[in-house]
Amino acid sequence: MRLFLFAIGGTGSRVLKSLLMLSAAGVRPLDENGKPVKDLEIVPVIIDPHKANEDLKRTEALLNDYRDIRRKLYGNDPNADGFFANRIVTLREIMSNSSVTLGDTFIFNLGAVENAKFREFIGYDTMNEANQALTSLLFANYQLENKMNIGFVGSPNIGSVALNEIKDSNEFKAFSNIFRQGDRIFFISSIFGGTGASGFPIMVKNIRQAANLEGIENRDALSRAPIGGLTVLPYFTLEGNKQDQRIATSDFIVKTQSALYYYKNTLTGANDSNVNSIYYLGDQVRSKPYLYDPGEHGQRNNAHLIELIGALAPLDFIGKPENKLSDPDGYPLPTTAYEYALDKDDLSLNFLSLGHHTRRLIYEPMSKFHLLFLFLTTGFKNMIGQGFTEDVPKIKSDFLTSQFYRTLVDQFLLGYAQWLTEMNDNMRSVALFKPGEIDMAHAIEGVGVRKRLLGHYKVDNDVFKAEMNKLSKNNPSYSERTVEFKLMDLFNKAAHNIFTERYENIN
Amino acid sequence: MKHFIYLIIGIVLTALFFVFACSDGFNIYEQMYFSQGFNDKMFNLNVYPVIAALTILVSWGGAATYYYAINSVKFDRWYHWLAVLGAVAVLAPVICYIYNDTVFSTHGVMYVGESIQFEMQTVLFAAALFVIASFSMRWWSSNCRHTPIPQ
Repeated sequence: MRLFLFAIGGTGSRVLKSLLMLSAAGVRPLDENGKPVKDLEIVPVIIDPHKANEDLKRTEALLNDYRDIRRKLYGNDPNADGFFANRIVTLREIMSNSSVTLGDTFIFNLGAVENAKFREFIGYDTMNEANQALTSLLFANYQLENKMNIGFVGSPNIGSVALNEIKDSNEFKAFSNIFRQGDRIFFISSIFGGTGASGFPIMVKNIRQAANLEGIENRDALSRAPIGGLTVLPYFTLEGNKQDQRIATSDFIVKTQSALYYYKNTLTGANDSNVNSIYYLGDQVRSKPYLYDPGEHGQRNNAHLIELIGALAPLDFIGKPENKLSDPDGYPLPTTAYEYALDKDDLSLNFLSLGHHTRRLIYEPMSKFHLLFLFLTTGFKNMIGQGFTEDVPKIKSDFLTSQFYRTLVDQFLLGYAQWLTEMNDNMRSVALFKPGEIDMAHAIEGVGVRKRLLGHYKVDNDVFKAEMNKLSKNNPSYSERTVEFKLMDLFNKAAHNIFTERYENIN
Repeated sequence: MKHFIYLIIGIVLTALFFVFACSDGFNIYEQMYFSQGFNDKMFNLNVYPVIAALTILVSWGGAATYYYAINSVKFDRWYHWLAVLGAVAVLAPVICYIYNDTVFSTHGVMYVGESIQFEMQTVLFAAALFVIASFSMRWWSSNCRHTPIPQ
């Protein structure tokens, strides 16, 4: 199964980043029997005309790193178990030979939109006087003058016009060519801004009305496709420029209400089957204020709990059985709406604040990944030349300068640490792990190591090394694998054993 | 399989050492150090087999202790192994000397100088046997199987 994951706007990029972190930790979508979904490929497509958006750039860089790391670990095998388990690919990567040319990127090319002011885009100057007057009623002057390479600055009315171009793009054609029955589509967008609020309904409309579009293959499969969406309600506030009111926190609720009414009438009504599953997520506790930036300065918002929880939505959607999304004839079922609640209404959250279902899904993988982060950044270098590193295939000192290791440690794990810190510093504070704590036994917030006869179990790099030595000893399964796979798989297995044996069980 | 061959080779070499240590023809101890009255007493009092056995015991015991009792990631460097070799090379001659001295005292003879010189070779034998024992048994150690030299 393929999941085409459209991440729209800044929130889309940030939720996607959280999904990447979960995927790197080895969190996989589970089917109704609790088993990982087989043969899954996730195809993220970021839709955002604001290419200079820092959140987008950071997510894109991490996506590329993730893809490189995973390819080195598992090749093109969609079924993997452990870190970086979910296969993430670009549209280009899975395209068969086709007349459509695409760049090997996760970003939707919105060239026609990005390079123009909105007034140029709609041909305002060529309109007759009456149409100009009507247009001026519908759009404020600053909206007409908006150069769209900084996005739609919180104006869904711009987005709903500009993003209609998507259906004619190469990316949309490529997507429609690749899409097969059994694949699914998911959208991530916010509802209180411009790009996400407008992009989601337009994309859904174009997919459901694929039969009317020219040059689109697989029309039937597309119009019947199971579609899910994460709609992020207001969760952050802005501070800064009081004069410039193009984006105002005070408008978020009004915009949300308007958009929800619109969605109800066109997408997610009780008898509407345009979107099969809609996940609503928001928080009345607002984030620490983000710097006001309509787009000119790159827009870089700290990671937030909502994005982490939001990233669980596509995983939940993938695991839904077919009969919950389509009727026996293959037609999509009406919308089911989902919400999310914390187990404890804390302002500083750890794993114990999350509900049982979420804990079971992410606690062990995320903890293991954090231990991997500590292991690789504090202890691994000194282990080369001993123990498991000397078993075939040998991990030699030049491994530390390899592309894989540098991408993993210097780039991806650095991004991971940043992501954790940002979530920790935000409101609600997500303190899953103690910031700056390198003592593995005390790194997981709210979870200690078990007691034994005398004192507590020890967990440190030496304990990991010993466990990896044990697992690697006379283990022929690695002899045909790469050193990268050996390291990550050994650590994953060792971490599972240590985690089960030595840490308190909170599941 | 390869590892079992190493173990068998180690056992064979050690057995050969024992055989040549006890032999009245080609006696490895007498080849290395010979002092007429002293060696006669050593042979006649059956000291050679016991000190050979003690040397083997200390060497193989030292290796077993290092690879299976210590067997720690904190002590898996070549210099940790070398330290154990050093300990074995000191312990074996000391134990042998004590035994030697006890036997001689029981029989009312004194060969202090010769005994000390004789036990110098035990240093070499113990070290050699420790190396043999190490390469025979290290393969199954979880943490020290690559010490002192990676496989």
